[in-house]
Amino acid sequence: MNKKVLALAGSLLAATALTGTAAQADVKIGLLGGITGPIAAMAPAMLLSAEMAITEVNAQGGIGKGEKLVQVTGDSACNPQNGTDAATKAVNIDGVVGLVGPHCSGAVIAAANSVAIPAGIALITPSGTSPEISNLKDNDSVFRTVPSDDYQGRALARSLKAQGMDSVAVAYLNNDYGSGLANAFKAEFEANGGKITAFAAHEGEKASYRSNLAELAKGGSDTLVIFDYGDGSGLTMLREALENGFFKNYVGADGMKSDAPIKELGANNLGTFITSAPVGEKSDSLEVFAKNFKDVGGDPDAVFVTTSYDATFLMALAIEKAGGDKTKVAKALREITSSTDGEAIKPGEWAKAKELIAAGKPITYKGAAGTYNFDAAGDVPGVYALFKVGANGFEKMADMK
Amino acid sequence: MTVIDFLNFYIVPGIVLGSIYALGAVGITLVFAILRYAHLAHGDLATLGAFLALAMVQLLGMPVMAALPFVILLTAAVAVGIDRVFYDAFRERPKIITVMSSLGIALMIRAIVQVVWGVDTQTYSRGLVRPEDYFGLRLRDREIYTVIAMIALVVGLQMFLSRSKWGKAMRAMSDNPNLALLSGIDNRKVVMLTWVISGGLCAAAGVFLGLNTELKPMMGWSMLLPMFAAAILGGVGRVEGAVLGGLIVGIAEELSVLVLPSEYKAAMAFAILLVMLLVRPTGLLRGKVL
Repeated sequence: MNKKVLALAGSLLAATALTGTAAQADVKIGLLGGITGPIAAMAPAMLLSAEMAITEVNAQGGIGKGEKLVQVTGDSACNPQNGTDAATKAVNIDGVVGLVGPHCSGAVIAAANSVAIPAGIALITPSGTSPEISNLKDNDSVFRTVPSDDYQGRALARSLKAQGMDSVAVAYLNNDYGSGLANAFKAEFEANGGKITAFAAHEGEKASYRSNLAELAKGGSDTLVIFDYGDGSGLTMLREALENGFFKNYVGADGMKSDAPIKELGANNLGTFITSAPVGEKSDSLEVFAKNFKDVGGDPDAVFVTTSYDATFLMALAIEKAGGDKTKVAKALREITSSTDGEAIKPGEWAKAKELIAAGKPITYKGAAGTYNFDAAGDVPGVYALFKVGANGFEKMADMK
Repeated sequence: MTVIDFLNFYIVPGIVLGSIYALGAVGITLVFAILRYAHLAHGDLATLGAFLALAMVQLLGMPVMAALPFVILLTAAVAVGIDRVFYDAFRERPKIITVMSSLGIALMIRAIVQVVWGVDTQTYSRGLVRPEDYFGLRLRDREIYTVIAMIALVVGLQMFLSRSKWGKAMRAMSDNPNLALLSGIDNRKVVMLTWVISGGLCAAAGVFLGLNTELKPMMGWSMLLPMFAAAILGGVGRVEGAVLGGLIVGIAEELSVLVLPSEYKAAMAFAILLVMLLVRPTGLLRGKVL
């Protein structure tokens, strides 16, 4: 009797396993973004460019034998808790084979440590910039298409020095993004002989930062560097600092290059506000991307859209290479990005890439934000520019070295 | 640091913030005293009030202060509606069920705000408002409005509670619900009145928070803890205690920067809450409930 039950259970199990593979006509990919929360204004453009990559893949033959790549969108809300929740749902319930995102560093670290790494799912973040992400023990499964803030913080420090700002006060959001950036900035700025008159963290989402600003201003510097998000406490802080005239010059990093400060404070009030942000190197690929992205109604100059597109496209290439097997995606991603002299693939050239992968030939993805050749930590070096606020939003001011 | 700087950058923001906390804390304390549970949707109800005012400002072109009375009434009606539809069903059940359901209501209200108004940060009026100089004190109009409106609303409420028939009925319910029911006080009307008052004050708190900073879907939720700290600090069930508690929490948060690293500012409300529960759980003014 027991054996019969066991046999029945066994055959049922086998049957479900069979239907499981047979029904897998679609390959699911998780897009986790900070749809709500302090980067809410950036997320729509980033998701739009990721969706464009998915649409292109499906229009040009899909994955494997014409299976469709299907997106599972999740809201990581730019915080570790929601990031973990969204990743758990995508991996354990929807059964995605790879994750693109989350967007914010804290969410990336949490989602990687508690979901993606234990499950062996590859994760590429288009905008998680904290230096801490390089240090994750991830069995080579966590990558990013955006450079670590170690580069950005240092480049910003050198650029400000070059602009003649010798003493600054630094306020940073107390999370992985803010502290990573602030520490890199501080080390380089001081190494170059600059003076940091105040260096203080703050918590997000408070109603008033005037006492924080008064403390920061005590050092006597007329420049405030804010490492925060432009839709969150960074905006509140910038507003209160401008209204009370605590500082003359304001500097932000990529998180502050959001439309919210311009929309809410007015471009005329932001004449002394500059931000740094990663930019794509000028290339044919970037032009192709820019044209395609404009056609779907996107703004190719928006922050992180190129890296979002590239992250999604690379994930699709890796899934194709791995034959849709989620345990092999991370390894495949490393393989397809390991050669620098393979056949060049530009944005949108899915059909060509698919043929080459099927033929087993090496490819080199020349993406919208650059050519991808991840280092041992899954990072890429980056190119940055300084932006100022002009009549039509952010305008590029200078390249950063 | 001069005295005037100390007032401008530490005390004035503390008082403005404290007034906003106070408006929310009065509602929390009333609900706690009369209905005997912690209402966790209070912060998000404030968010709803702030965004309703935004709708009036944008659609009808009203100034925020003119929209305020309408928003207070609207949010009061929403609060009564929520009570009728959800909390009323749990009236005879253990209170923890209502507390948990209020958490669900909080998530629902936030979701509605995000669906209707989007997730971007918004403001009532664009651009900057630089403060005006009053003998060295730098004050904005909106800060003066906030404090005056808080005082007016609370004094009005205090008069209502101590003078009017229904105010007395509410206090009777808070002191001894069974005795109040026996003496013929209409339970449903008192509950409704409680929601009208706390919903309205909640909306005012949200509007003033939005006026002084920005409107975000999470704005009310992040204000919930300081509001609870204020209510408990002042003594649960005491309106004047909630006001005092709100002001103390607001000023303490701003002053904490002087002695603590600024990342611990947000922990100030927690610290006050903990110390108060340990040392004097009845609150500064001897609350009636805890």
